[in-house]
Amino acid sequence: MTSLTGDTARSATPTGRPEGRADTAREAPAGHRPGARPGRGALRRVGREGRPFLRARRGALWRLAGWSLVEFAQTFLTGYGVAQALDRGFLAGRPGVGLLWLAVAAVAALPAAVTTRGLFGRLADLVEPLRDGLVRRAARGALTEALAAPERAHTGAVSRATHQTEIARDGWAGLVMAVRSCLFTSAGALAGLATLQPSLLLVVLPPLLAGWTLFLLTLAPMAARQRAYLEADEAFAARAGELVGGLRDIRATGGAEQAAAPCAALADAQCDAARSLARWAAVRMLALGVAGRCPPLVLLAATPWLLSRGMTAGVLLGALAYLTQSLAPATHALMTALGTAGGRLLVVLDRFTAPTPPLPPPHTPQGETPDESPGEPPHGDGRPRPGGIVLREVTFAYGPGARPVLDRLDLTVRPGEHLAVLGPSGTGKSTLAALLAGSLTPDSGSLRWDDRPAPDRLVLLPQEPYVFTGTVADNLRYLHPAARDAELAAAIEAIGLAPLVERLGGVEGTVDPGRLSAGERQLLTLARAFLAPAAVRVLDEATCHLEPAAEARAERALAARPGTLVVIAHRPASAHRADRILLLDGTRVQQGTAHELHARSALFRDLTGQHSADEAEPDRS
Amino acid sequence: MARRTPPKDALGPAGGDASLPVLLRRRPWSVAAVAVCGVGAALAALALPAVLGVTVDRLLAGGPVPWRWLALCALLTAAEVALDAAVVWCGGVNSAVLTSWLRRRAVDRLLSAEPHRAQAFSRGDLTTRLTTTTGDAAGAPVAAAGVASAVLLPVGGLVGIVLTDHWTALALLAGVPALVLLLRVFTRDTAAATRDYQRVQASVATRLAEAVAGAATVRAAGTARREHRRITEPLTELGAHGRRTWRVYGRAVGLSSVLLPLLTALVLAVGGLRLAAGAVTVGELVTIGRYAALVVGIGAVTGALGGLARGRAAGERLRPLFALPVPTHRDAALPPDGPGTLVLRDVGVVRDGRRLLRDVNLTVPGGTCLAVVGRSGSGKSTLAAVAGRLADPDEGTVALDGVPLPDVAPHVLRREVGYAFARPALPGDTVGDAIAFGVDRPPPEAVRAAAGDAAADGFVRLLPHGYRTPVADAPMSGGERQRLGLARAFVRSHRLLVLDDATSALDTATERRVWEALDRMAGHRTRLVVAHRLSTAARADCVAWLEDGGLRAVGRHEELWRDPAYREVFQTPPTAPPSTAASASPPDRADHTAAPPPPAGEPEGPPPAKDREGAR
Repeated sequence: MTSLTGDTARSATPTGRPEGRADTAREAPAGHRPGARPGRGALRRVGREGRPFLRARRGALWRLAGWSLVEFAQTFLTGYGVAQALDRGFLAGRPGVGLLWLAVAAVAALPAAVTTRGLFGRLADLVEPLRDGLVRRAARGALTEALAAPERAHTGAVSRATHQTEIARDGWAGLVMAVRSCLFTSAGALAGLATLQPSLLLVVLPPLLAGWTLFLLTLAPMAARQRAYLEADEAFAARAGELVGGLRDIRATGGAEQAAAPCAALADAQCDAARSLARWAAVRMLALGVAGRCPPLVLLAATPWLLSRGMTAGVLLGALAYLTQSLAPATHALMTALGTAGGRLLVVLDRFTAPTPPLPPPHTPQGETPDESPGEPPHGDGRPRPGGIVLREVTFAYGPGARPVLDRLDLTVRPGEHLAVLGPSGTGKSTLAALLAGSLTPDSGSLRWDDRPAPDRLVLLPQEPYVFTGTVADNLRYLHPAARDAELAAAIEAIGLAPLVERLGGVEGTVDPGRLSAGERQLLTLARAFLAPAAVRVLDEATCHLEPAAEARAERALAARPGTLVVIAHRPASAHRADRILLLDGTRVQQGTAHELHARSALFRDLTGQHSADEAEPDRS
Repeated sequence: MARRTPPKDALGPAGGDASLPVLLRRRPWSVAAVAVCGVGAALAALALPAVLGVTVDRLLAGGPVPWRWLALCALLTAAEVALDAAVVWCGGVNSAVLTSWLRRRAVDRLLSAEPHRAQAFSRGDLTTRLTTTTGDAAGAPVAAAGVASAVLLPVGGLVGIVLTDHWTALALLAGVPALVLLLRVFTRDTAAATRDYQRVQASVATRLAEAVAGAATVRAAGTARREHRRITEPLTELGAHGRRTWRVYGRAVGLSSVLLPLLTALVLAVGGLRLAAGAVTVGELVTIGRYAALVVGIGAVTGALGGLARGRAAGERLRPLFALPVPTHRDAALPPDGPGTLVLRDVGVVRDGRRLLRDVNLTVPGGTCLAVVGRSGSGKSTLAAVAGRLADPDEGTVALDGVPLPDVAPHVLRREVGYAFARPALPGDTVGDAIAFGVDRPPPEAVRAAAGDAAADGFVRLLPHGYRTPVADAPMSGGERQRLGLARAFVRSHRLLVLDDATSALDTATERRVWEALDRMAGHRTRLVVAHRLSTAARADCVAWLEDGGLRAVGRHEELWRDPAYREVFQTPPTAPPSTAASASPPDRADHTAAPPPPAGEPEGPPPAKDREGAR
């Protein structure tokens, strides 16, 4: 990543599979534990990525400076105009001239009404790209995290990311404006002082510089306190989130005091950090006092000396105007921006400096290149397709230390077969589904598809249906963008989606996932799977929110499509519809028809509810 | 959890909220100090222009250097700066202390309330209220203290000008309406531009949230890059609206950057004419200029009032939290060596107008095992919650060994009654802590024995640091988490053990081992088991069959089995309980099938989802 914006141009790995995904699956979400990244070096890390960003926007910076020249002129004229108005006008008995000079100063302010708009336009050139880049990064990070462990995906990271990009946007804009304003106002004021009477600089500069030095000295400890404060705040937030998630269990165990203690400790730690921050904020106020308020005092003290060197009353008032109306507010604004928004900005930007790997490109199972180009229209309907899958000693575990979910599983799925998978939860059904669909790669053993299907020919429908905001047609074509309208209509009819599509206003109607029931969303994804020219379709409890009749219709329709159908069964009826049943139970695996398994397996009878009363106390011997 | 002694910050009704008066009463002196320092700084700032004017006049008069006046200038400046710094310091400390106080109180209150009431708030919402909202509310007293000085400065400045010269005061007053108008235009315009911006921003967030929720599909379809394009597609429009917000903002700033110099020039022009006429001195002109600057700073008043309003609104948002009822209790003990006989009399539970349990009369003899079966939504989990006082029934009583549960001292109750859940949350830093977590600290041998009974000892030993492995670093499946939850329940539960679907993710071999441990408890520990599986019902001494919140039948499984309707109960999904988990609702609610009030919207805020487990 060379800059804070834009998508990475890094070329995808040829295999197209993110490496080490299984390992990262177990890690806490990025940013979940705020203390994990040391605060030190934040400035260096942000600077490293920020410099190219600014270099790429040199033009915008120059234009910003150009517009700011107006501010320089305006500042220059405020003090100078006052001095001339008094010396040449009001004090010289010529009020007209005095008014004229004040008018000059006032008129000099007029262009600002126009130029400020230009200024903010250029500011947008610096700020909006930063936000774009951060949003891209946040989206990539959240997607990467979700892809690594879909079952743990949660939307908390999403709102966090958007929230933080906004903090960064506002903080960055505030900082740019404050720095720019302080720079050009100071320059205008100092130039005015030098023009009025060069010796003024001798008097004014020392306290100004002293104040600035004092402030710069407070900056580093201040930033450290700020970071400590934000981190303490987030540590408390993380702990509070855990506590809130465990209220039931805490009450059930009577561990309220045990649970409250770390929260209270973190609240106190945050309080300490806030106290410390408040102390440094007070020090900053003192520095501000020295830089902003001392120069006028020193000027007054030096007035007798300056008067002896020819200073007039008008010059004194002009100098006072520079110091109190221009320099002090600009200094105040910058110090505040640096002291508050600056620290927060640094902390937030540092979050985004962690490298996010590029997203996986459209992949093919086992990393082999597709044997047909993605855009090529698929085989015409009706032609039988291969869809056999052979698993030999397939083992899979979530993480290196974890017990394998699937242990040396052998399985042959015949082309065109309708297979149901049954078993208690936690026995690896979803894992098997993901493996069959090429979403996961076995840790060991081999898994081969006949004919190495292209991605659009290997379809997995997970339990959580993915429907996005867009048209019905967009949603249906998700796996098969080239599908014709007639095919869409056929899929809608076959799956029983017509009433829903009608309600949404036809295929061009808009889908708002939040307004659909879980069952309706599942129907949409089932039609999507029907439409895809797939050789293998894997349904991972993808009908669990449907009524039994709707489930039966959808499953029969999918089974009638060419290709292999694997159904992780949610209801016993689902298993009974299949040609063959695979029964998973921990380390043991049994296969057969419903009839065979019913005779053989107590677990099968238990799961399908076909127990008889004489089995009331199994395994008690 | 009901406490025997109230926490040190009394949770009484009077001090029970986060309103401004309560916060002011908590640290009256500190707030007073902030107010006094603020007013002092304002007074110094108001005195300074007048002194400055005199000093300038004396200096320009060319006589002896007016050291006294110069010293007075320096003194006033120093006082203002020092008092301002004191305000920042005292105010910061005050808000910090109040924040921590509010947070600890809010946490205590949450832990004291019945879990189902606290869970009426969504998890993210609660977290936000505990963090951001407490901080905002704690800032209210300091904001209130700041209002006085914020008002004092412009008003005092105006008085100062009037006292110095009427005519310039009039000139200034003529210009002020324009200033007020400008502030209004500014707020209106930005509101519109910001609304559009936020709308598009929300669409980016929505797309991202959808894609994240559908990650399994995206991964399988290999469409991650396409999704990223789709998510970031509105950025172009967002940028356009963003630019518009800056333009609107720039226009307002541009206006104010013209208006303020014009006002100053106006005041100076009138002042200059008065100077030329000999009505004011040069020093008084300086005074007028400085006062005018203070008057123009009137915008700070809106800022101060806004801060106060924000703080009070935050206090309001905390009110429902502090209003959570805390169940009362007495300090009775349970009869020693009681067998754990559980009696429910006329128990009814109503939540959000829905009847979850009705007229439940049930006696579970001590040391026996009762299976609770029924379709999802029939009230099984509610019954389990009521049995061990996770929630109080709205009607009827629950008694353990003859003592009504509300009479039992909480620490006694939690030692005698244990719970295990389908998706346990595992508080505690290490795996060992997670098992030991609770009312007291059991010895390590007891922890290991319980882990052994829950078939957890084996996999815990395989963890990198065994029982000392941090929970966050322990890779665990849903079943393994369930076993830790079971072990935690086994450690205590001396009389009553409630398993709410707590073995659903175990394979049959492991489940059998757990059941062997449960069977060993026969005779001395009562077990209440909510189950979906047939074999569980078959094992129990007795089955309570719930339908629509009422007991349809109680009896042995073999007897009930003759009823086809009973057999049908087990035709329901054998696996996960039906989840309404669409994209928004947190899946960790799924195990309260009987209890969940709909989540009250998912607000922003970081809901950490550490313990979210996918059923595999």
